[in-house]
Amino acid sequence: MPYIVAVDIGGTFTDLVGFDHDTGEAIYTKSPTTYGNFVDGILDCFDKAGLAPAEANFLNHGTTLVINSLIQRRGAKCALVTSAGFRDVLEIARANRPDPFDLHYRRDEPLIPRELRFEVPERIDAHGDVLVPLDAGALEAVAEELKRLDIEAVAVFFMSSYLNPEHEEQAADILKRLLPGVYVTHSTELTREWYEYERTSTVAANAYVGPQVNTYVRRLEDEFRSRGYGGSLFMMGSNGGLLSVDRTCRQPVGLVESGPIGGCIGAGAYAEALDIQNVVAFDMGGTTAKCALVEHGRYSVESVYYVNGYVRGFPIKWPVIDIVEVGSGGGSIAWLDDQSRLHVGPQSAGAAPGPVCYQRGGTEPTVTDANLVLGRLNPDRFLGGEMSLGVESARWAIAAKTAEPLGYKGEAGLIRTADGIVSIATVLMAGAIRQVSVERGLDPRDFVLFAYGGGGPLHASALARELSIPAIVVPPEPGNFSAIGMLLADARVDASETFTGILDDALAAAMDGGFRGMEGDTADILRRDFGAADVYFERKAEMRYHGQRHNIHVPVTGLRALAEIRAAFERDYKRRYGHADSKAPTEFQALHLSAFARLRRPDIANLRRTMPAGGMPEHTRPVYFGVTEGTVETVIYDRDGLEPGFAAQGPAVIEEYGSTTLIRPGDRFQVGEMGEIRIECG
Amino acid sequence: MSKTIATDVPDIQQRIDPITLEVIRCGVVSITNQIDANITRTAFSSYVYEYKDFAVGLVDVNGQLVAQSTGGMPPFVADAVGTAVRDGLRIYGRERLFDGDVVVCNHPAVQGQHLNNTVMYTPIYGGPARSTLLGFFALNVHWIDIGGVMHGSTDIFMEGLQLRTIKLWSKGEPVEEIYRIIENNTRMPVDVMGDISAQLAGCLLGRDLTLTLADRYGAETYFAAVETIMAQGETSSRARIREIPDGTYESEAFLDDDSLGTDPVPIHVRVAVEGEEMTIDFSGLADQVPGPVNSGYFGGGVTAARVAFKYLIAPREPANEGVFRPLKLILPEGKILSARPDAPMLNYSTPFPTVIDTVIRCLEDALPHLATGAHFGTHSGFMMHGHWADGRRFHGHDSGHGGWGAGDGHDGSGPFRTMAHGDTRLIPMELQESLLPFRVRSLSLREDSGGPGKFRGGLGFRKEYEISHPCTLNTNLDRRKCPPWGVRGGKAAEPGCITIIKASGETEIMGKARNYKLQPGDRVTLETGGGGGWGPPEERAFELIQRDLDRGYITAERAVRDYGVRIEGARVVRE
Repeated sequence: MPYIVAVDIGGTFTDLVGFDHDTGEAIYTKSPTTYGNFVDGILDCFDKAGLAPAEANFLNHGTTLVINSLIQRRGAKCALVTSAGFRDVLEIARANRPDPFDLHYRRDEPLIPRELRFEVPERIDAHGDVLVPLDAGALEAVAEELKRLDIEAVAVFFMSSYLNPEHEEQAADILKRLLPGVYVTHSTELTREWYEYERTSTVAANAYVGPQVNTYVRRLEDEFRSRGYGGSLFMMGSNGGLLSVDRTCRQPVGLVESGPIGGCIGAGAYAEALDIQNVVAFDMGGTTAKCALVEHGRYSVESVYYVNGYVRGFPIKWPVIDIVEVGSGGGSIAWLDDQSRLHVGPQSAGAAPGPVCYQRGGTEPTVTDANLVLGRLNPDRFLGGEMSLGVESARWAIAAKTAEPLGYKGEAGLIRTADGIVSIATVLMAGAIRQVSVERGLDPRDFVLFAYGGGGPLHASALARELSIPAIVVPPEPGNFSAIGMLLADARVDASETFTGILDDALAAAMDGGFRGMEGDTADILRRDFGAADVYFERKAEMRYHGQRHNIHVPVTGLRALAEIRAAFERDYKRRYGHADSKAPTEFQALHLSAFARLRRPDIANLRRTMPAGGMPEHTRPVYFGVTEGTVETVIYDRDGLEPGFAAQGPAVIEEYGSTTLIRPGDRFQVGEMGEIRIECG
Repeated sequence: MSKTIATDVPDIQQRIDPITLEVIRCGVVSITNQIDANITRTAFSSYVYEYKDFAVGLVDVNGQLVAQSTGGMPPFVADAVGTAVRDGLRIYGRERLFDGDVVVCNHPAVQGQHLNNTVMYTPIYGGPARSTLLGFFALNVHWIDIGGVMHGSTDIFMEGLQLRTIKLWSKGEPVEEIYRIIENNTRMPVDVMGDISAQLAGCLLGRDLTLTLADRYGAETYFAAVETIMAQGETSSRARIREIPDGTYESEAFLDDDSLGTDPVPIHVRVAVEGEEMTIDFSGLADQVPGPVNSGYFGGGVTAARVAFKYLIAPREPANEGVFRPLKLILPEGKILSARPDAPMLNYSTPFPTVIDTVIRCLEDALPHLATGAHFGTHSGFMMHGHWADGRRFHGHDSGHGGWGAGDGHDGSGPFRTMAHGDTRLIPMELQESLLPFRVRSLSLREDSGGPGKFRGGLGFRKEYEISHPCTLNTNLDRRKCPPWGVRGGKAAEPGCITIIKASGETEIMGKARNYKLQPGDRVTLETGGGGGWGPPEERAFELIQRDLDRGYITAERAVRDYGVRIEGARVVRE
């Protein structure tokens, strides 16, 4: 004692990981997510772990509250206040149509409908100067109207505020004064970058989830404080850093990818500890598979995120870890179209009714059903035996819904079809990994596959083969891995500013000044929120050749001289494009700063489950490994019983609570010092 | 309306098992999408990554499209890459297209589009000793500048460098002379050469990935998969066409002018459906015109017909040659979409939105649930140029995005760009104001611009510019005299227009500004057209009229006029 604790609220389960710095003891629990009041589920986890809130001194918390609220449209009744002439920016958006042949295509409705969007006279020009002063009288009249309409939250967006936020700040102050109890937010407190639609959309989303997040976080804090919790409470931000309660309340959009980020942080931390330069973090759950690249312990962060996807959704301008998601998870449904073509996903049986083998009313065959039929899953040991799987019902569904209509008969046909379902899911997931790597000019063969989530370790070896990836790492507790990652998160604050001009000596100096300003601001936040003494920074300049429209983010930490900056740009450019032009002038577009403070983190080596060897002795069962290998009598291991140093040849299956690792014939595996399984692909 | 026609799965499917087929299908689509991501990453010019003005395709040994990346511009799905490869096969034959050759083609007699659209392809040889031709990997990319005039060409020779099936690489070695010709025939050599190296890398990587996939299963299986993929695409299209009642359907529209003169350009279309086949007859199109809005048979007629067909029959079906097999085209030479190769084609896609709209209109009664009202249907380009005080040149290309037609069950959407555009985004005003001599006074939805109907057409927008430095304006709003029509009893939308209010107070309204001189203090308002309505306005649900009024999508005056209601205070009352 005392414990540090991370809690991840997922769609089905709330996961808790606790770690005692003094004894090195780690605790894991899972409890069903309690919809309606998530705090109850968290407290259930504490109870189940035999842990009292008063025994913990640090709690980091990831939640899907924000993304769910945005997607399910369960947020507050909001209004938008904009510069005169621009209330429709939110609705016109970028006027693009990503689905090229759909005559009936439409974007998701804007979060704030037109009748709740108001305009006030004011205008900042393209140099940041005031062109039209803010009309306070008009704003007061709008405030009266908002009061009459019982508005719960107000978003303020003014044109060109990225250059001069004064009007926005004044307007927000006036509205706060006139509308006590109403949540008020303005665009430049979220992003200082240009592009009016992206800023409007971001601030609208922030207002939309603001009241709900405030209620939730304050309630969580109260419940814990009243139970004697005296430590710090943090939320897991989408950029991989922790957010204080106050910041969360002001910038709730910062939680938009709060859940999945934990796994990426964990993958980065393990990669660093295991001295692996580059990993593909691969997380396969019930409905989707997600992948992200981690290079030298660092995942990449994108500065824009699309809620509900790029095709129909809307953007949030906020640093979010760069994750590519594909609709193939364990629950993904296999189906035939009217041309008898076999597809897998993106429709999912989800957690309810779930795959057919869950025997909860599912009738459509899924990837999990296929794995069960192939002998890769143990019907009696799913979730440590908490759930038993129906092999017969899975066999029936695959035969009746897919194998027979395709003309496959008998046992061989059933197996061939089940294998086909898994193969198609594998090709789709491999596509996502290729996309995330190729888009950045990297070759997946130079990476190690880091597999977690319920389904990651089961599909990793097929995926590695498909991508010619030579090695796989499966961390301890793959089914709880997102919560583990949250325990390993550092404090991080990001800031960005639009900064334009052609690179010369004067601008190089101005760049340094710009970064210094942001460093002061972000360090203040880290000191205030985390009491952090030791803050370090990473600087990136968004640059391009003069006249181009495509920017790259160039690491410029420690660089001040023009020649150094120029060389860094060319090096990065060359890696991305394969060529560079040493004569063409370069220009800046924006400055991006990340400030970090190391927190006291658990030693990764201690995070493996220290439990008595599992009750299940080594045994064998037939497992199907594909057309060439066929069905092979395969050794089944209990992961809890495997000590560091243990090594064996595939084929093998390693079972544990919440996940199963498949080792193909010809592959070798070894249990490492940190409890990780390392697979060399043959 | 159902017809009984045999649709057995073709025999070919017996040669490949359905699982292997699906893995290969997912594989080829994934390869084209991967190359799509690659070119977006490595391309130099904004046309490529911002407009997505490119396409990635895998074609078979005969130049027939097997798979294409899912993004990209609609006019490219049609047959652009296949047409170029077939020209190469005609000129060289398979025996003289060697492993390591890379061929480029932008020729008006082949693709028949503006010369910027350049297809580059390379043969894929696989099997033992790389001796079996498996197909070609091809990329069509809009080269940002290929010489020639920038406006108002009157023949193709004014439009820049023509490359008809030229080997850029020969047996794995670059032909440096060709590179030198290209580099010295463009105003923007850095961008063009950068894009070419990205295009080349995409071709070669696509070739290698396809080769790996095909070799894993063997050439025989790969060929069987390719044939089956096309056959299934064909079967799918046939099944959809079978649901359309047989008959001949006609419709017409026109362009305001050919962008040089003032005479209207007629667009008459006939669509015949017979059993499982559809014929689009473009014989009633205008003859080719003096203005640069012509296109060739493949890049024009085939493209417009296939794009319309895809919107109607196969929106979700991955594009391949099989999908289009049940589509027949009648199009004599010398029409605006089958112009002779010397015709000016600089703005070749100008008629496409109207032509596609007209094909859809033909089927409003045959496919009532699918057909939508017309969309605003014009490129609505808004181009300004001039010089800053220090002599530097500025050039801004803005565009009008307008309303789309309503359909059965939904109001029209938008504002979007036209049916001939894909995922093309508006340029942010904060960016424009920092680069160009104007300030935007407002950008708003244009109330009352959508066509009335049971389902209302989508709204266009209104954008007000205030000019701060002398400049010259060119615009090309069309469809002013042939406004976006409604279908199934829906009404027409408001067409777009440009209003110029001079600092002196003098006002002019137009569709096409031609080298119009603007001065500081002048204001220009760009209003784009809406989309046509669907179904009779009198059938519109009351609460939707109220909602439109509350949101200001329609004014009280137009609610009364278009829907025959009365307004009391802010409430809509049934008359």
